[in-house]
Amino acid sequence: MTGIVVGNTLRTSWKQILYWGLGLGVLGLYIDFIASSPDIIAGYADLFKAMPPALLQAFGASDVALFTTTEGWIVSIFVSEAGIFLSVFAVLAGLNITANDEQSGLMDVILSLPISRAAYLLERWIGYALVGLGIVLLCALITVAGIIGMNVDAPHDVILKSILNLYPAALLVMTVTCLLATALRRRAMAIGFAAAFVVVSYLFNVIGASASGAIADFMESVSYFSYIHGEAFVLGIYNPTDSFILIAAILVGFALSLRMFVSRDIGI
Amino acid sequence: MASESVIEINGLSKSYGSGKKQTLALNALDLTVNRGEIFGYLGPNGAGKTTTIRLLLDLIRPSAGSARIFGLDIRADSVEIHRRIGFLPGELTLWENRTGSQIIHYVASVRGDAKGIAKHADELAERLDLDTSKRVRDLSSGNKRKLGLVAAMMHAPELLILDEPTGGLDPLVQQTFHAMMDEYRDKGKTVFLSSHVLSEVQAICDRVGILRGGELKAVESVEKITNVEFHWVDVTFRDAIPIGLQQQLEGLPSISDVSTNGRRIRLRMLGDFDPLLRVISSGYVEMVHVEEPSLEEIFLAYYSGDKEN
Repeated sequence: MTGIVVGNTLRTSWKQILYWGLGLGVLGLYIDFIASSPDIIAGYADLFKAMPPALLQAFGASDVALFTTTEGWIVSIFVSEAGIFLSVFAVLAGLNITANDEQSGLMDVILSLPISRAAYLLERWIGYALVGLGIVLLCALITVAGIIGMNVDAPHDVILKSILNLYPAALLVMTVTCLLATALRRRAMAIGFAAAFVVVSYLFNVIGASASGAIADFMESVSYFSYIHGEAFVLGIYNPTDSFILIAAILVGFALSLRMFVSRDIGI
Repeated sequence: MASESVIEINGLSKSYGSGKKQTLALNALDLTVNRGEIFGYLGPNGAGKTTTIRLLLDLIRPSAGSARIFGLDIRADSVEIHRRIGFLPGELTLWENRTGSQIIHYVASVRGDAKGIAKHADELAERLDLDTSKRVRDLSSGNKRKLGLVAAMMHAPELLILDEPTGGLDPLVQQTFHAMMDEYRDKGKTVFLSSHVLSEVQAICDRVGILRGGELKAVESVEKITNVEFHWVDVTFRDAIPIGLQQQLEGLPSISDVSTNGRRIRLRMLGDFDPLLRVISSGYVEMVHVEEPSLEEIFLAYYSGDKEN
């Protein structure tokens, strides 16, 4: 591994950091702006108290008390919304790792160069993982800058950690999409299945968290959204085990992608 | 002394799909390409030329058989092989938003000697009259092809694998390309060139392999293939076709398939032009148009007895 492909990936994709990071940063600023008004927060808290648990979960919180604090409100709203947007980015990034180049025929040029398929896949994955990290960092910094600039009463470190906690989940979606692209070979099929993975995960999390019983628990446990714990940082109950589970799933997904990509025909 | 082989292919087969949908794209190919030769891989579209090339590059995996390049296994040693070869795909795709220079620099970096290679790339680009400062999306298809050639040749590889290399190139650049291939051969390097254009293969190749329906039908010297060559000739007279001319032409052993249309006469001619010219000079000839046969026609002629004629 030389890092040349990583460098090339960053050179061709750095604008994504800017566009996605700024876009999510603007979302953060908007949420900061609302959070700067205690009256609005109180109004939302009253509204959420009247909501059924499933709907509350859809807004990213299992506990209505979270919405009564400024940081709880920012984290719950931002993490649930940014989590969805980042998932969209992650699907697109996962397709960029191999599927798009394979579909266009560029992969034939790349793999005729003296680089192994394994090294290429790893470098592309690292490249897009860094792009994803750049996006999460940029939007987190803009959101925190908004909190400072608007004098919002919320601990910066809690907000920062909550947003950074989105990163492993985004990496998982990217890796799953990459796996789907290497396994299914067809870009359109990979997009369809990756979108289904995100949507089903979201629904499983909402339904699983708002219902009780073995099936609900199972649904929640297989949803990657249930491993994003923005609120845990607010409540001070963050358990790194969930992040490790996501990382383990990423490693397994990447290993499977590697196996598929190395062993099959390219571009057929 | 036996020639040193650069490419050795033994019983290489490739099929796509499975069950009833299975298609045999390449069937038990045996082929050897020697060092210092330009080998033309000739066949109509869908014959299996690109499949062979993609197998050699380890982009697809064989269903049976094996191949070696420089004595190295195409699968186990693909990275080392790729270090020593240059490849131009038939349907070239490059990074649309990047300039020629950026692409050259990137490819050279992956090859491990950005500075040295880039210098040679500049020389090649100048020779091919390529502006490397433009983005790929702003290049014509011919200029994209030139950039692909520069990327394939800039590290002076021992073996060049070119899939339909001159498609989209203007005639002047094609001449430059032919000259570059001659220089390659003079330096003892090897070229494996696939094409469905007979004239291109005739112009630069030493030997030709004819592929059809996934099977290698013949490997011959270019001279031998040329011997079976015939032409389609259209002769347009200023006035009416002279009386009895058609019968005279049909009487010539080297001429067949004579047909007329107004002042125009079309025929299939084998061998020298002299007998034809003597006969048609009985009228005022306004124009003569000579078409080279299609590859399919050559192929049919080669295997249907015209070879003996």
